[in-house]
Amino acid sequence: MDLPNYFIIDTQPEARLSPGMITEACRQLKRNRAQYLRDIPTAQTITLLAQLADNWRDDLFPFRKMALEAGQEATGFSSASLARGLDEFFARITEENLHNLITQELGDPRRLDAPLATPEERADNRTAFARGPELIGHITAGNLPCPTLMSLIYGLLVGSAQFVKCAENAGFVPQLFAHSVYHTHPKLGACIELARWPGGDHPLEEALFNEADCVVAVGRDETLEAIRSRLPNGKRFLGHGHRVSFGYIHKDFLSRAMARELAKNAARDVAAWNQLGCLSPHVFYVERDGAVRPEQFAEMLSEAINELEQSEPRGEITDAEAGEIAHRRSCYEIREAHTGDVRQWMSEDSTAWTVVYEEESRFSTSCMNRFIHVKAVANLDETLHAAEMARGQVSTVGLAAPKSEAEAMVIQLAHWGVTRVCPIGQMQNPPLGWRHDGRPSLGDLVMWMDWEL
Amino acid sequence: MKFSTFNEATDAVMQMIRAGEGDFNHLALALFALQKEHVPAYRDLCQTRSITANHWRDIPTVPTSAFRDLEITSLSPKTRTTAFHSSGTTGATYSCHWHDSSSLAVYETSLRAGIEKNLQPNNCQILALTPPPTEVPHSSLSHMAATAHPSVVFGGCITDTGWSIDHDIIYRACAKAIQTQNPLLIIGPAFSFVHWLDQLDAPIALPATSRVMETGGYKGRSRELSKTELHKLISKNLGVARNHIVCEYGMCELSSQAYDRIAGQQTAAAFTFPAWARSRVISSETGSEVDDGDTGLLQIFDLANIRSVLAIQTGDLAVRRGEGFELVGRATQSDPRGCSLALAEN
Repeated sequence: MDLPNYFIIDTQPEARLSPGMITEACRQLKRNRAQYLRDIPTAQTITLLAQLADNWRDDLFPFRKMALEAGQEATGFSSASLARGLDEFFARITEENLHNLITQELGDPRRLDAPLATPEERADNRTAFARGPELIGHITAGNLPCPTLMSLIYGLLVGSAQFVKCAENAGFVPQLFAHSVYHTHPKLGACIELARWPGGDHPLEEALFNEADCVVAVGRDETLEAIRSRLPNGKRFLGHGHRVSFGYIHKDFLSRAMARELAKNAARDVAAWNQLGCLSPHVFYVERDGAVRPEQFAEMLSEAINELEQSEPRGEITDAEAGEIAHRRSCYEIREAHTGDVRQWMSEDSTAWTVVYEEESRFSTSCMNRFIHVKAVANLDETLHAAEMARGQVSTVGLAAPKSEAEAMVIQLAHWGVTRVCPIGQMQNPPLGWRHDGRPSLGDLVMWMDWEL
Repeated sequence: MKFSTFNEATDAVMQMIRAGEGDFNHLALALFALQKEHVPAYRDLCQTRSITANHWRDIPTVPTSAFRDLEITSLSPKTRTTAFHSSGTTGATYSCHWHDSSSLAVYETSLRAGIEKNLQPNNCQILALTPPPTEVPHSSLSHMAATAHPSVVFGGCITDTGWSIDHDIIYRACAKAIQTQNPLLIIGPAFSFVHWLDQLDAPIALPATSRVMETGGYKGRSRELSKTELHKLISKNLGVARNHIVCEYGMCELSSQAYDRIAGQQTAAAFTFPAWARSRVISSETGSEVDDGDTGLLQIFDLANIRSVLAIQTGDLAVRRGEGFELVGRATQSDPRGCSLALAEN
C-alpha cells in the first residue's frame, strides 16, 4: 500500500514513539484546529463530509479500492463483507442526515457556529452556543472500523482536533479514511492524527491524556475503568463498554412467507461484520405457537446464512476462533444425538457458519464469526428472565412484532435496560442519529455557553 | 480382540501400562466397542453418525465440554466412588469425570508410570503446591500428587478466593531439603508457582537435581507469564536447573498425562503421551489430521479412560510435532475481537 506519510501511523512500525512525540503532535493538532477547523461553518463541514461519504461508495474511489483490495489481510473481513459494511455505513452520511443529527442533538443545525435560541430559550430571553472539545483523544478497540469512523465524523462536526490511538494490528480503515479527509481537504486532515500502540502503554497514553480535554474510549469494562482512573482531573471521559444484542420474533410474524423473509434479514444481521460487533445478535428468540415453529425458523435461518455465504463469504479466521467453533459444534452434536432438545446446522468442511437451535431459553453468548443461537420462548417475559445474565449489557434488540403490541414490548425492553430496538436485518446498521449506549452522541461531546440577553 | 466386560478391558489395559507397550490399535477398538455400548450419550452419538471404526483414528471423540453438560460414564450413580472436576473460575460449571475403584486403579497406575518415567522421583521428597485430597477431593492434580508418593507434603490450602499457598509448610519442606541435601520434586500448577515465588523474600538454592513438574494453567488466578518467563522465575528463585523443569499436560477428563521431557534431558521435546495414549491434531475447518508443523485442535485417545470414553476432543490448540504436540493455547473462551463481550458461561 502506497500512502504518503501524513500521520504517525503511516511511519509505523519503523518510527519509535515517545511521549514527547505524542505531546508535540497533540499541540500541533490544537494549533491546526485553531487556525483551520474551529471557525469553518458547520454547513461547510457537512457538505464536505457528505461528499466524502459519497465518494467512499464509489468503486473507483482510490481509498475504497485500497480498503477492499487489502481487506482480508488487513481487517480479517472478506472483500464482500467489507464492501457491504462500508456501503451501509457511508449511505447514512448525507447532508440531510448530518443536519438532522445536529438538530436532534443541539436543537438547531447552526448552534456550533453562533449563539442561537430555540423557541423555549427565546421565551426565556437567552441564546446558547455549543462548542466541541479542543482535542478529543480516541482509544479505539478491535477490528470493527465503523465505530472509529463514526467517532471521527462526530469530532469533525463539532470542530475538534482528534488523536486516534489504534489497537495493535487494527486501524487500517480509519487510517484510509483519515487519508481521504486529508486528500479532500488538507486543512481538515491536519486536525487528525493517528498512531498505534499496545493498549495500556502508560507513558504514551499519559501524554495523550494530558493534552486532550475529552477522551472517548471503546473497550472492555476493565480497560475503560483503567483509563478512567488514570485521567487527570477535569477531563471528560466517554466510555463505551462491550455489549451484546439479540433478536426477538413474535408468533404473529411466523407465517411461512414472513418467517422466510425474517430469516433472510436475520442472516444479514449475523453476517454483517462477521457478527463481531456490539450490535450483532448472539441469539434469536422465537415465540412458540406461531405457524412456523422456532426449530423450523432455525432451519430457514441456516438456509439463508448458507445462501449469503456464497455471495458474501465470511473469510478466514484465526486458528483459535476456528477451534472454538469446532469445539462448540462437537458439544452440540453430542447433545443433539443424546438429549434431543438441540439441533444444529452447519457449513460442510468449514467453520463458515453454524446455527444451533435449543429448547432451553437461557441466553447464550455466541463465539461469533457467524455462529448463531435460536431459542424457543413463550413470550417476552420468559425471554428477559432467560437473558437476566446479560442484563445491563444488551445494546440492541432486533424486533419483529405486530404494531399493536410493539410499543408495550419496547417500553418493557427499555425498562429492562435495552438502549436500541430496530427491525431485524438492521441490527448492524443504526441510523446516524442513534444514541450509542443510550447517550446523546454530539450532546455528550459539546460544552454549552448560555447567553442571557 | 473383543471385551465382554469392563473387567476384561481393565486387565488388558493394566497389562499394557505395566509392560509399557502393547497393541494400541486393537485395544482401542475393543475398548471403544464396549464404551459405545455402555455410555448412553456416546451410544447415541455413534448411532447418529453410523460409526464403524476400523482404526483408532476413526473413533469418534467427545468434547471436554460434554463432561460438563452430560454424564459421560458407563458407571451407574451408585457405583461412582470418585469424581474429578475441572478447575474453573468460581461460580462456573465444571466437567465431571467419574471413577469406581477399578478404573481409579487404572488411573493411578497410569499416572505413576508417567511420573516414574519423566520425573524419576526415586530419592526425592515430594512437595505439592496443592491442597491435600482431603480438602479438595475432586482435584485430579491433588490426587495425582498423593498417588505419586505416600509421604508427599501438601503446601497448598483453600481460601475464600480459591487455592492458595501455605508459605510455612513450603518453607519447612524446602529448608529440610536443603539441610539434608535430599533433592525435592515440586508439583504444582503455574499460578501456584507464581503465588509462591512472587512473595519469596530471597532466592533459595534447592539441592542439586531437585526437579519441578509444572502443569501450566492460570485461569486468571495470578499474573500470567509465558512458559519461558515462568521457568526462568522458577530456576532463578529455587536454583532448579532449567532441564529439571518438566511440563505436564493433563486434565480431569483424562487418565494419562503427556510430558515434554524427562527430567535432566537437555532439550525439551514436544509433549508426548505414554504408549497407552495417543494424540492427534485436527483441522478445525475440516476435521482431518493436520500436517506435521501445522496448528489445529488437540484430540487425545487414552486407553486408561476405562469407564468414560477413550477418545477426547480438547479445547486446546496445538501444533503437530510428529507423534507429539506443542501446546499453543486455549481455543475455547478466547477473547472475542471487536466490541462484543464474553459473558461468563455460568
